[in-house]
Amino acid sequence: MLSRVAETIFWLGRYMERTDGMLQILRTNYISSQDAINDLSWTPLLLTYGELSAEEIRKIERDSPKVLEYLISDRYNGTSVYNNVRQSRENARAIQDHITKEVWQCLNDFYHYMRDPNFEKQFEDGDPVSTMDLLIKQGLLFNGTVKNTMIRDQGYTYLHLGKFLERAILTTDIVRINIRYHNVKFQQRVESPALRYLLHSLLGYEVYMKTYKGNFNPDDVLEMAIHNSYFPHSLVYSLYQLNKYFERLKPESLPESYEEVEYLIGKTMNTVKYSNVEVTNQKMVNNFLQGTRNQLIEIGNCLGKSYFGNT
Amino acid sequence: MKEYSLLKSYQEQPNVWDEMFGADGVRPSYKKFVSAVEDLSISEMNHKDELAKKLFMSQGVTFTVYSSGEGIEKIFPFDIIPRIIKNEEWKLIEAGLKQRLKALNIFLKDIYHLQFIIKDGIIPAQLIYSCPYFLREMMNVDVPFDIYTHISGVDLIRDHDGVFYVLEDNLRTPSGVSYMLENRTITSRIFPDLLPKNNVLSVKDYPDLLFKSLLSLANRQSSDPRVVLLTPGIFNSAYFEHTTLARLMGIELVEGRDLVVENHHVFMKTTKGLKQVDVIYRRVDDEFLDPLVFRPDSALGVPGIYWAYRKGNVAIVNAIGNGVADDKAIYSYVPDMIRYYLNEEPILKNVPTYQLADGDHKKMVFENMHNMVIKRTNGSGGYGMLIGNSATDEQMNEFKIAINEDPRSFIAQPIINLSSTPCYIDGVLQPRRVDLRPFAVYGPEGVDIVPGGLTRVALKEGSLVVNSSQGGGSKDTWVLAEQQGL
Repeated sequence: MLSRVAETIFWLGRYMERTDGMLQILRTNYISSQDAINDLSWTPLLLTYGELSAEEIRKIERDSPKVLEYLISDRYNGTSVYNNVRQSRENARAIQDHITKEVWQCLNDFYHYMRDPNFEKQFEDGDPVSTMDLLIKQGLLFNGTVKNTMIRDQGYTYLHLGKFLERAILTTDIVRINIRYHNVKFQQRVESPALRYLLHSLLGYEVYMKTYKGNFNPDDVLEMAIHNSYFPHSLVYSLYQLNKYFERLKPESLPESYEEVEYLIGKTMNTVKYSNVEVTNQKMVNNFLQGTRNQLIEIGNCLGKSYFGNT
Repeated sequence: MKEYSLLKSYQEQPNVWDEMFGADGVRPSYKKFVSAVEDLSISEMNHKDELAKKLFMSQGVTFTVYSSGEGIEKIFPFDIIPRIIKNEEWKLIEAGLKQRLKALNIFLKDIYHLQFIIKDGIIPAQLIYSCPYFLREMMNVDVPFDIYTHISGVDLIRDHDGVFYVLEDNLRTPSGVSYMLENRTITSRIFPDLLPKNNVLSVKDYPDLLFKSLLSLANRQSSDPRVVLLTPGIFNSAYFEHTTLARLMGIELVEGRDLVVENHHVFMKTTKGLKQVDVIYRRVDDEFLDPLVFRPDSALGVPGIYWAYRKGNVAIVNAIGNGVADDKAIYSYVPDMIRYYLNEEPILKNVPTYQLADGDHKKMVFENMHNMVIKRTNGSGGYGMLIGNSATDEQMNEFKIAINEDPRSFIAQPIINLSSTPCYIDGVLQPRRVDLRPFAVYGPEGVDIVPGGLTRVALKEGSLVVNSSQGGGSKDTWVLAEQQGL
């Protein structure tokens, strides 16, 4: 496979996963912002997914429709959901011959849906949750279309490498943001709404309730986000998947390139798998998440160097 | 004319050949189609029109216009009423094109080798050497199977008496074939059953024909030669076509930066190292192909590719240097080429063409400018053109000055009344002018032309310019099968 094509499809996977993750966290944050007890500021998300100055953030941080408009549909915010989708579609366009017509049309429809003149108004006039639900559905449709129509070739593999690398990064980000800004006080070892929102952001609330029988405590929440190998948004699950797809590339790789990336994935998997993070030690949790994130970024860079011809 | 509900307001134009209506009403080739749609209400027709637009948009059959930093997605305007060509007409077109392409191909081989045609005084040497697309770099280069014009899209028009004329030969990188394929798909969606009922010949073989032809050019002793399509990238207005063709042929779509030349062989950069490339169907113009030989500032090409080609290590389709054969000043010599190389009379006529480098011609053209179309010999896309009967005095004077400065760069032709065909515009059928671009594939086994092509329409009322860059659109083109007896 052409290096350029591999990189383009890898990033297509990353952008689409980022879109899904962002929408989920924005949806959860919006719902929690409507909770009267919680006077919630959008600052952490504006810092993560926006390009505004401190002054500009201060102006809109408590105006939910404005924030959502900025983070979702603003064409001038390079990291908005709109721009993620636009970039995904641009990538898909550049490698149209490596994805199916159905996948391309699905992304094309997603893009045109967001470009509809009525779309932006929905944040002011309508119910933002319904709008975000519709966008999330488009993302699910994309994932389903990929699964059902694409041949399991290298393109499929690179798409999933991008997807699971991005998912692992998103999980470290979501947990970190929640700990830092949303008063998830692990050391208090009590249930807090913030814990629930953290789980919702990771699409893990229901899984948690089933697994831990509704017994809320910070240890278990962190355990699930990091170690639960059945939970599709946990770090361990994402890394297993990343490794599984990467192994498929072995016959299609130069041996030295393969070994280099394999080493990094293996190292990160072991760090996460055998980590023993104490929830009471917030600094330790933070360092662990930040360290894992750095290792994930390094895997991406190494793929770029060894497989995509980036120097 | 019969009083059809949909057709009753249709105004034929005097002295113009109408594709659908003859002196006795609807032409036989259109009768089945007309009887299927004549009773449709305006809302049904509007629905079909809307559906066609939606399908083009959702399938991404679009081109992007960049304005104020943001890309705006546009569809190439499509008219839902097909243009129908009867079988005898098609046979004539097919035979004429094959003859013409054969002669043009021999001309290219000749002009880049022994140049008999100059020595025998058929074409003046000065005309050839003053052509900007005559590439000295191609002298004595042997191309695989002596084929230069692998893919061509010759533009045909029809005068008031229904006779077909060749308007221009596009032998470099003609585009539009993907629209031929897409238009057919859309027609089958908006007019269910009409295609089989009308016995319309299929165009879907085009990608297979093209792929087989490309594969046969590979020089390497390999059971699986590698064919790629070289595109300038996603910002090119024909990018949709490039991806469509690559996908339909199952070949790799590459950009210049994906290729590298080593030891006069071309390779593509893959995740598993370099892989040799045997055949390149390039959609990049000659001048951008190799910065070491042609334009040094080109980032679209591949440094060193020209020498790999010259040594026969890679086949490039179409050949480099074809521009000399579709130059508008050389065009007027094509009938002579056919007589000279093939000893045959041309089947398809040329539009009479006056070289403005000739003093007598220039004088005559200046005196009759309002009846003439004046074109730049290296212009395309409907740019650099003056249509005498709709030009202002100021425009005419500007052209006169430009012609006097550089007469070689201009030719003049009498205004041909392009044939008209009904288009569904604003809820009624209105006549609009059309041309026809069939696509031919020239391989070692001969020339194949899929029955159909791209009918381009001048959507502005009264306009004679069909180019998409000048407000033109397109139609599906039906060639009817023989047994129908039409």
